[in-house]
Amino acid sequence: MAYPSQLGLQDATSPIMEELMNFHDHTLMIVFLISSLVLYVITLMLTTKLTHTSTMDAQEVETIWTILPAVILILIALPSLRILYMMDEINNPVLTVKTMGHQWYWSYEYTDYEDLWFDSYMIPTTDLKPGELRLLEVDNRVVLPMELPIRMLISSEDVLHSWAVPSLGLKTDAIKGRLNQATISSNRPGLFYGQCSEICGSNHSFMPIVLELVNLKYFENWSVSMV
Amino acid sequence: MLPRAAWSLLMRTGGLGARGTHSPGSTAGSQRRRISPYVDCYAQRSYPMPDEPFCTELSEEQRALKEKEKGSWTQLSQAEKVALYRLQFHETFAEMNHRSNQWKTVMGCVFFFIGFTALVIWWQRVYVFPEKVVTLTEERKAQQLQRLLDMKSNPIQGLAAHWDYEKKEWKK
Repeated sequence: MAYPSQLGLQDATSPIMEELMNFHDHTLMIVFLISSLVLYVITLMLTTKLTHTSTMDAQEVETIWTILPAVILILIALPSLRILYMMDEINNPVLTVKTMGHQWYWSYEYTDYEDLWFDSYMIPTTDLKPGELRLLEVDNRVVLPMELPIRMLISSEDVLHSWAVPSLGLKTDAIKGRLNQATISSNRPGLFYGQCSEICGSNHSFMPIVLELVNLKYFENWSVSMV
Repeated sequence: MLPRAAWSLLMRTGGLGARGTHSPGSTAGSQRRRISPYVDCYAQRSYPMPDEPFCTELSEEQRALKEKEKGSWTQLSQAEKVALYRLQFHETFAEMNHRSNQWKTVMGCVFFFIGFTALVIWWQRVYVFPEKVVTLTEERKAQQLQRLLDMKSNPIQGLAAHWDYEKKEWKK
């Protein structure tokens, strides 16, 4: 989850998120270059005593500053499309979990083997144990096996929601009447937090998501105990 | 042609513009107002030598001077040359480019409003803001930090990456 004084993205927990972090570095570098160039030009313009009141045309520079942005956009688009297609690759998930967004909680269904389903409500601030994180903890976490590809099917029972877990690079809209698919593949165990990312009413900020990635044995024991 | 605010500034300062209100002393001559190329009675720094002269309605004396100008210039005295220059251009380059004290007014207003905003914020803290949440006490923040370190959140480059688990302290 996010930590105090954080400046960048949360550490990547899945290969896709690593790709996204690299892409973000690449694009941000381009953005910084363009911004510093523009800032430099503005500074030059504001600190010169020279004037020129009769500019008519400037064909050469106009050509350059039309072609160059197009090239830059291509340099951004190609890695972006690469990652977009990488997200949709065939990966043979071992488990399918369905999550439905409600106002204002998430419900999860693990129906591959047993009939397991539960609701996941945020723990109110007054009920927090010491050390728990305000507005992020839930009563029933989503326990999943780590290092295995898992298919998430996301939908909604009422209004639009969005199921997001930043450290896994996931954000998928939950739309009533539609199934959206995302793939989870975590490199390491632990707790990974996310929050609803589509405005859905008064408690939109109070329906978090907590994934608990554990080893397979623990996951099996847990799913047996929860049924 | 000029926007409203600019017109009112023009009227109020007798044609001298924003710089005129801040400049100490007055400049030579107060001829009637002329619009471009002499905007606000002042030449523009980007267009310092307009084709038309500054003064077109000349007094008797000035017309005589203009006649003298048609002859050899070595016969003009220094004062006459200066008078001819003023007729044509109204201001020297130094006068035209002089700095003003406008920045002091601007900075003063900026600081005033920053101070006013500070007063507003202080009043809000006293009369408007609710109590802080219980999770913001130092004890609870320390417990949360301990939990984050225990669950090894962001162990690659983030929080847990900077904690030395053997020595139980932050890495140097």
